[in-house]
Amino acid sequence: MTLMNFIYGFLAVLGAFVFQTSLTGINRKVTARLQKRRGPKWYQQFIDIFKAFSKSSITHGWVYDFGAIMALGGIAATVIFIPVAGMQAFPGLDNIFVISYVLAVGMLGMAMSAAGSGNPWASIGVSRALTNMLAYDIPFMVVVFTLIYQHNTGSVSELASIQQGVGILGWNFFKLPLGGIVSVIALFGMLGKKPFDSFIAPAEIASGPMVEYGGKQLGMMFTLHELMTFIEVSLILNLFFGGGETLLIYMVKYAILYTFTNIVSGVMPRFKIDQAVTFFYKVPLGLAFIQGLLVIYLGWGY
Amino acid sequence: MHEVQKNDRSLWEVVGDYFRANSIWMKWYCTGCGAIEMPPTMTSRFDMEQLGMGPMATPRQADVLLITGYLSTKTLRRVIYSYEQMQDPKYVVGFGSCTLNGGIYYDSYATINQLDKYLPVDLYIAGCMPRPEAIMNSFGELIEMIKKGEAKGWKHYKENHEWYKANQMDSLGEVIIHDEFHE
Amino acid sequence: MTMIFIFLGLSLLLSYVLSRKQPTLGAYFTIIASLAGLISVYLLRNSVGVTESFYYLNFQITTIGWYFAMILLTVYFTSAFFNPFWMDELIYPAAYNSLYLLSLVGTIGLFFAQDLMTLFICWETAVWSSMLIVQQGKSRQAAWVYFVISAIGSMSTLFAVLLTMYLSGTSEITGALTYFTTAPVAGALVFGAFILAGLTKIGIFPFHVWLPLAHGSAPHTFSPVLSGGLVKMGAYIAYLSVAVFPAYQVFGDSLKIQGVPLPIYGLMILGAASIVYGTLRAIQQEDAKRLLAYSSVANGGYILIGILMMDQMAFAGGLMHLLNHAVASAAAFLAIAAVAKRTGTTKMSELGGIIHRMPITYTVYLIAIISMAGIPPMGGFVSKWLIFQGLSEKGLILLATAAAFGSIGSYMYVFRPLSAVFLGQLAPKYEHIKEANPVMVTAMLILTAMSLLLGVLPNLVLKTIAKIQIELGINPIIVNGTATLTENGSVDMLQVFTVFGFGFLLILILFMVLPKSRRVGLMDTYTSAEFIHTPELLHYGHSFYAPFERLYEKWPSVLPLYKRMSMKLSELGEWAESFFFHPDPNRAVLWIVVVAIVVIIGGAQ
Ligand code: SF4
Repeated sequence: MTLMNFIYGFLAVLGAFVFQTSLTGINRKVTARLQKRRGPKWYQQFIDIFKAFSKSSITHGWVYDFGAIMALGGIAATVIFIPVAGMQAFPGLDNIFVISYVLAVGMLGMAMSAAGSGNPWASIGVSRALTNMLAYDIPFMVVVFTLIYQHNTGSVSELASIQQGVGILGWNFFKLPLGGIVSVIALFGMLGKKPFDSFIAPAEIASGPMVEYGGKQLGMMFTLHELMTFIEVSLILNLFFGGGETLLIYMVKYAILYTFTNIVSGVMPRFKIDQAVTFFYKVPLGLAFIQGLLVIYLGWGY
Repeated sequence: MHEVQKNDRSLWEVVGDYFRANSIWMKWYCTGCGAIEMPPTMTSRFDMEQLGMGPMATPRQADVLLITGYLSTKTLRRVIYSYEQMQDPKYVVGFGSCTLNGGIYYDSYATINQLDKYLPVDLYIAGCMPRPEAIMNSFGELIEMIKKGEAKGWKHYKENHEWYKANQMDSLGEVIIHDEFHE
Repeated sequence: MTMIFIFLGLSLLLSYVLSRKQPTLGAYFTIIASLAGLISVYLLRNSVGVTESFYYLNFQITTIGWYFAMILLTVYFTSAFFNPFWMDELIYPAAYNSLYLLSLVGTIGLFFAQDLMTLFICWETAVWSSMLIVQQGKSRQAAWVYFVISAIGSMSTLFAVLLTMYLSGTSEITGALTYFTTAPVAGALVFGAFILAGLTKIGIFPFHVWLPLAHGSAPHTFSPVLSGGLVKMGAYIAYLSVAVFPAYQVFGDSLKIQGVPLPIYGLMILGAASIVYGTLRAIQQEDAKRLLAYSSVANGGYILIGILMMDQMAFAGGLMHLLNHAVASAAAFLAIAAVAKRTGTTKMSELGGIIHRMPITYTVYLIAIISMAGIPPMGGFVSKWLIFQGLSEKGLILLATAAAFGSIGSYMYVFRPLSAVFLGQLAPKYEHIKEANPVMVTAMLILTAMSLLLGVLPNLVLKTIAKIQIELGINPIIVNGTATLTENGSVDMLQVFTVFGFGFLLILILFMVLPKSRRVGLMDTYTSAEFIHTPELLHYGHSFYAPFERLYEKWPSVLPLYKRMSMKLSELGEWAESFFFHPDPNRAVLWIVVVAIVVIIGGAQ
């Protein structure tokens, strides 16, 4: 660990933020086109975030602020762990469980801060978000266990580089198609894209955990959302689509994957939270188990 | 009642005003008929998102409070509550002639006639009801105002707080709370 | 070592005498006694292998016994800080204090027992003394259930002990148990009896019923000991029956699933079932202590699976999880106890907003649950990570899924008290409560510091565990500086912690640079512009996960089954009783005659 590592880490966070925020802006345009609108400028998302930072704000007590800082700090740290096209700020820290659990620090922080605001809608939103997490994470975890068993490594960058060099048929998405499908469905849940977005239902529970945020805390939450999107899409990209040999390939693949989720969610209705749980435990979990049994007991997928 | 005079903004405010002008999040209070004009303004025909505008769920997140039409005194209390929960800088847009001078309800005992006696209105949109073209046009106007730092109703509200409060009390009167559901 | 037992024995008498005079004094004495025990056991760390006898009891210092004893003593020591403040709520404070120390003696004796008889005696001591303490809590029925289920464990231990001594001809634990390598059939029986005792004590599904009852209604100061400490006795028995007892050889011929013999796999499935079951039930609870008790059921599942794996990673994970769970669960129980001391309730829907009055207690609870849920940088993460790595390395996908379910599900249930008790609206009736007093805070902070230390420098403990693994002849976990290495992955918790701190620092700077926020009241929240004047109505603490709970609230519970069994049992008893003690005098005469005839005939021969 030298100073260089930290500078790289800082740059990684910054780069991830800029990249994902631009992509979100572009995707707002894509969604607008789906709805036959013109849509905002591509850098609209930056303006929104900076505007939120520029406004005055309120606080409901120290845990409200502390939770927000812990959330964004945790997520920023997770971004540093993510290997991007083989590059890492801190080599050797990219174990898949470490990443998915450090991510949980951020989520816990956000939940804490939201519940600390004293608004019951925030608590309802958090309870839904946690339930949602229990729904999508289990099928995804089953697939991850299968991957670790198959490749005998839990490091994300190694899992990505194993898939490279043999064209797209080397991707786990094609080698383990069922697991690939499961993880893409789980990605929708992770990103909170429709149909799994009931925890931020704006009209029903006034945007759930976000209900009390305004000003800089709101800006932090938006930033958090962008970084979290980056982590989740990167994770799926590295595990199933071969990561990227170079930064450019990585970014192109990333953009395609993210835009795909966005387009699909643009035409989806919304699941109630218990429907989401039942769905995940019926279809994706079943598929994941079939995939796991095929790999572990029948040796398929090598 | 004193006016807000200063117009020399610090650099932080100039930059902030640029962002605020290009990203206007609305909280609209569907008080009257005017609310029905908002959906066409938002959707594909007029598409207000191209100006960077959009609806928001709560007043904490919003920049603009949109009063869409007549305002009964019962609702006025809620509107004031919502306005005070918004984060500075915040703007109020009065929507339709009802907010301007009472419109066809000018002699009603249940509505207020002039919104800017109670809240600092930055912009009125005249019409009964204003069509989406008018709305889009006036939002263009609002954006210009914010950019130039002319929309400072929120400062005005702060500085003339007693005057506004007196007006509000005048029309609402004092409330005695009996229990959670009865005032 | 005998000195320690003599010292603790004397101090339990002394604490009794002191408590008769002045209960609080006796309670403070328990702190000192358990601290002395902790220090003296710690000093034994280099004398592994020493054996000592005390009349009929034989003790031997082993690494694993030392490790377990340290865990127990830590929990006893920190929980003892709470004793002085509960003296006036107990019926028999003097008995409480001395039983507290007696159960400590029993458990430590168990871990250091060299022969099977000592093992059994110590086991019984711990069970009985803790049962008598539980009885001083809210519900007598809880103590009964605890006693009955413990009795199952005791009986099967006794059976296993006697059978082993009879068959192997020796009572020395290692020698006696390794005898079964040559006698697999009897071995299977002994294994079953031993592990049954372990399962009942850990509270593995379906023997978990006593645990929520006993933990939920024991005196607030004893719940942490029950959950953090005494449950670990079961883990020790499980350890004995799989590591010292040659379980993998005895079942070597049976069907294997991914290299695990079927009977052991079946036990692991029970562990997985208790993870899932404990998680689902914990999510449903309305009482914070019962919720934590069910979380102990779930965590017991991890420990059992880990120990049964007997490999490099999951075994180390299981043993480390023992410590992590003991520390975290004790801290969580103590935090809830501190809240209960101030507010008089542990029901979550009646509390709320306590953070604004008890911030330190909140922080303690927060760190405890972070560790319990297995989130870095706290201890629980490392152990769960090791278990995950071990399970996925072997391809035990069903168990791994259950483990993942318990892990993600734990976010749900640990967050529940955080949100309902500590966050949210502060009810006016708690407006004037104060932070827990400094003595309690000290105890809680010790545990919190330990959780953090275990998370950042897990290798402090993993070194000891590696020693245990080497003694058992399995591949030890590799520790290298601050990094922990396994076959299929590595992690350096210090680095993770540093990076996390770095991220936090970046955001803190951003937060500080931006304009300061204005403080508003808790009731100044968005309510769709409705005026609400009652904080209790704005607090969301009841049926927190209603949509999720609805999915399984109709599932059958094992409780009715047990109820029916106990009914049948008492009917049987009544039936038998009716033979002997019938109101009709003819029957009594009949029995007297029968007995007389039997005696006469027996005597004649
Ligand atoms: S101005 Fe006209 S349309 Fe608008 S609220 Fe008044 S009456 Fe209705």
